[in-house]
Amino acid sequence: MDKTTVRMQQIALQTLANGEVDVILGWKKGDEWYDSYPVVINDINETAELIWDAFCVNNLSKYLITELKKNLRIGVFLKGCDSLAFNQLVIDNRIDSERVVIFGLPCPGMIDPQKVKHAGLNKGLLKVERTGDKIVFITKEGVKEYIGRSFDYDKCLNCRCPNPVVSKYMLSDAVTRTDEEQYFPDVTEIEKMPLEARYDYWTKQFSKCIKCYACRNICPLCSCETCVFDNIAAGVSSKADADCEQQFFHIIRAYHVAGRCVDCGECSRVCPVGIPLEKLNRKIIKDINQLYGDYTADTDIAKSPPLGTYKVDDFDPFDGSKQGGKK
Amino acid sequence: MKQVYKRDLERLWQTISEHFELYLPLEQDGKVNFMPWKQGENVNIDRLKTDLSPKNIIFPPTETYLKFRTVNKRLCFESVGGKNDKYVVFGMRPCDAASYSILDKVFLQEPIDRFYEERRTNGIIISLACSEPEETCFCSSFGIAADNPVLGTDIAAWDIGESILWQPKSEKGKKLTGILDNILQDTSEHEIIALERLQQSIREKLAQLPWVDLDLEIISNNMKEMFESKVWEELSKSCLGCGVCTFVCPTCHCFDIQDFGAERNGERFRCWDSCMYSDFTRMAHGNPRKTQTERFRQRFMHKLVYFLNNNGVYACVGCGRCVEKCPVNMNIVKVIKKLGGD
Amino acid sequence: MSLKLEEKAISSKQQFEPLIVAFCCNWCSYAGADLAGTSRLNYPANIKIIKVPCSCRVSPNFVLRAFQRGADGVIIAGCHPGDCHYSTGNYFTRRRFTLFANLLEYVGIEREKFKIEWISAAEGNKFATVMNEMLDSINKLGPSRKLRDGRWIRQQ
Repeated sequence: MDKTTVRMQQIALQTLANGEVDVILGWKKGDEWYDSYPVVINDINETAELIWDAFCVNNLSKYLITELKKNLRIGVFLKGCDSLAFNQLVIDNRIDSERVVIFGLPCPGMIDPQKVKHAGLNKGLLKVERTGDKIVFITKEGVKEYIGRSFDYDKCLNCRCPNPVVSKYMLSDAVTRTDEEQYFPDVTEIEKMPLEARYDYWTKQFSKCIKCYACRNICPLCSCETCVFDNIAAGVSSKADADCEQQFFHIIRAYHVAGRCVDCGECSRVCPVGIPLEKLNRKIIKDINQLYGDYTADTDIAKSPPLGTYKVDDFDPFDGSKQGGKK
Repeated sequence: MKQVYKRDLERLWQTISEHFELYLPLEQDGKVNFMPWKQGENVNIDRLKTDLSPKNIIFPPTETYLKFRTVNKRLCFESVGGKNDKYVVFGMRPCDAASYSILDKVFLQEPIDRFYEERRTNGIIISLACSEPEETCFCSSFGIAADNPVLGTDIAAWDIGESILWQPKSEKGKKLTGILDNILQDTSEHEIIALERLQQSIREKLAQLPWVDLDLEIISNNMKEMFESKVWEELSKSCLGCGVCTFVCPTCHCFDIQDFGAERNGERFRCWDSCMYSDFTRMAHGNPRKTQTERFRQRFMHKLVYFLNNNGVYACVGCGRCVEKCPVNMNIVKVIKKLGGD
Repeated sequence: MSLKLEEKAISSKQQFEPLIVAFCCNWCSYAGADLAGTSRLNYPANIKIIKVPCSCRVSPNFVLRAFQRGADGVIIAGCHPGDCHYSTGNYFTRRRFTLFANLLEYVGIEREKFKIEWISAAEGNKFATVMNEMLDSINKLGPSRKLRDGRWIRQQ
């Protein structure tokens, strides 16, 4: 068994047994190679089923919001990007960090089952193991090895935070990544398009939307008690398949996490129709970085979120006098 | 039994589209979905299943019934909706075709849904057997034969490599076959053998799949026990309450009726709804199913128990889309296994 | 552009009566509009004013909804930064809508269609000028159904 999994099970058992936590948020393995799913356990006998592999893509920090209402102390396993979301939830005052024990998991990148499938490697596949950049596919017929990151989720390819920024127990050594920092090429590409082409591009993307709200519900920071799109009194035709409603939803969704988005890319990952949602979020992040100083949501919980604060001398695009317009 | 050579496919589609609207699995940005075909589109009939189910052809995500407007202080109504253009869908998989026959049980029961009926009668479904079933397929658990499209099928088709075999199954299918007489070729002994070999190989591949033999009876025979099972609480914990599973599902058919109102005009439309949503079947007092656990239970009890009791079939065809799309890997197979005592 | 097309464009422009929604802060810009009125300054009737307690009360939802339901342009007018009745409200407006305006442009909406202006209670003149300029620029853009609800029909 994987070393980290062993350590994971040990620490879960230990903290549950000594009462440090009441429940544990982790992942278990289903029948299939790609199936690692989030679980909440409070039974020490179940700790032996916990798992860490290249498919533990789900961010467990959002579950803390509901689980902390029911439990006093919670132990949670967090990857790098998950820990950013955790910090942001603390900043947003959605969870009480005092009651959470974090087990940090440095993350080499998660594997996209669809990429495996499209490469035709899913036939008779039993298990996929990853150590660093080496991926081993164990099939009924034998074992195949690949080096590299060609099976990683797109969102993992540009990871800027593989190691948890906050944790009480770190379960393995920090991961060192040698990725080229290519943070906003996709945004710049769209910015360069002519205005009409941009409008057509986004209208086409938005029109694919089936209003399943997976992007909203998976987002660790979309945590309103009642979303405006679930609120009938808000007068939003939230289920209608009309272009304007799709535009409305996607612009507002992206904007509502402005300054809080941790760029984990989960929205695009879960979109069943492939809308590049992260390109909206990244545009906002890029602007915030440029205008209000480097915002990397968020490693520092003492810092105010960029839209929750201001500076008197902020850049003012609306002040005609400064731009030489008419007074 | 007829056949069409693959080199003639483009010509086949061209000819069909001269008489009908033609839906084909088209690839755009890496996703494959049934969409109206035009010359030059990127057709992909090799992808086993489309990302979304083809239910949107007979049951559109949003369909307007009624438009109203005040003209000179008088309220004018206009009835809209339905579809009168005849159309053909080529390359639907047997599970998806079977889902049409399940939706029929909902919409073609008295009182008949007129718009649905129009779409259904105007369509000709050409269903292509699955040469390469995948790990996520479990159609055989629901009695659907991936090697022999029957349910909801007007023309059954098999991809035997060089050509696609073509067998009309209904009157509509025979008529279309007549129209395409100059493209379809006769088959010989050689193709019949190839077909048998293909069907044999499909059956063998199916038998290898992990979920071919899910035990459903234990669930459908014990409604009360299942309803009160402790399992729901545990399984639904990870459920995010999004609607992916319901919207990609070929048999989920719940809808909501809503009004759009502007100052002096408006529309009444129906749109897909999901039992996973907090405002589903909302009444004056709120949603009768207040927690995600109840909503989660409803979806699976409906598919595996209630629908069976009411209509004699399960409301699942085992296409496996929910398995692939669920953001947290929770799906009907897990539910069946867990409820079945696994 | 051929003559025929040009003619068509001109005639459609003649018919085009833009609708501009102006969210005005109660303390400065709305008073500025008042002053423009009492000073008998002309500003176009295409401007529909919605009074808000503070410019930071305006949510992006309002802006999008206005575009959906017939607005050709949306303008948010508030006190000059530093002069907010609630001390800091418009500093937040400034950050929020700087980002939002960029986002709208990113999805293909013309800058001219969505504006923020700082107009004090003493600036009746500025109010009239800003509104006239806004109308001009929207007229130049011509009719467009971007972001408009396809089901929405304009009442004559």
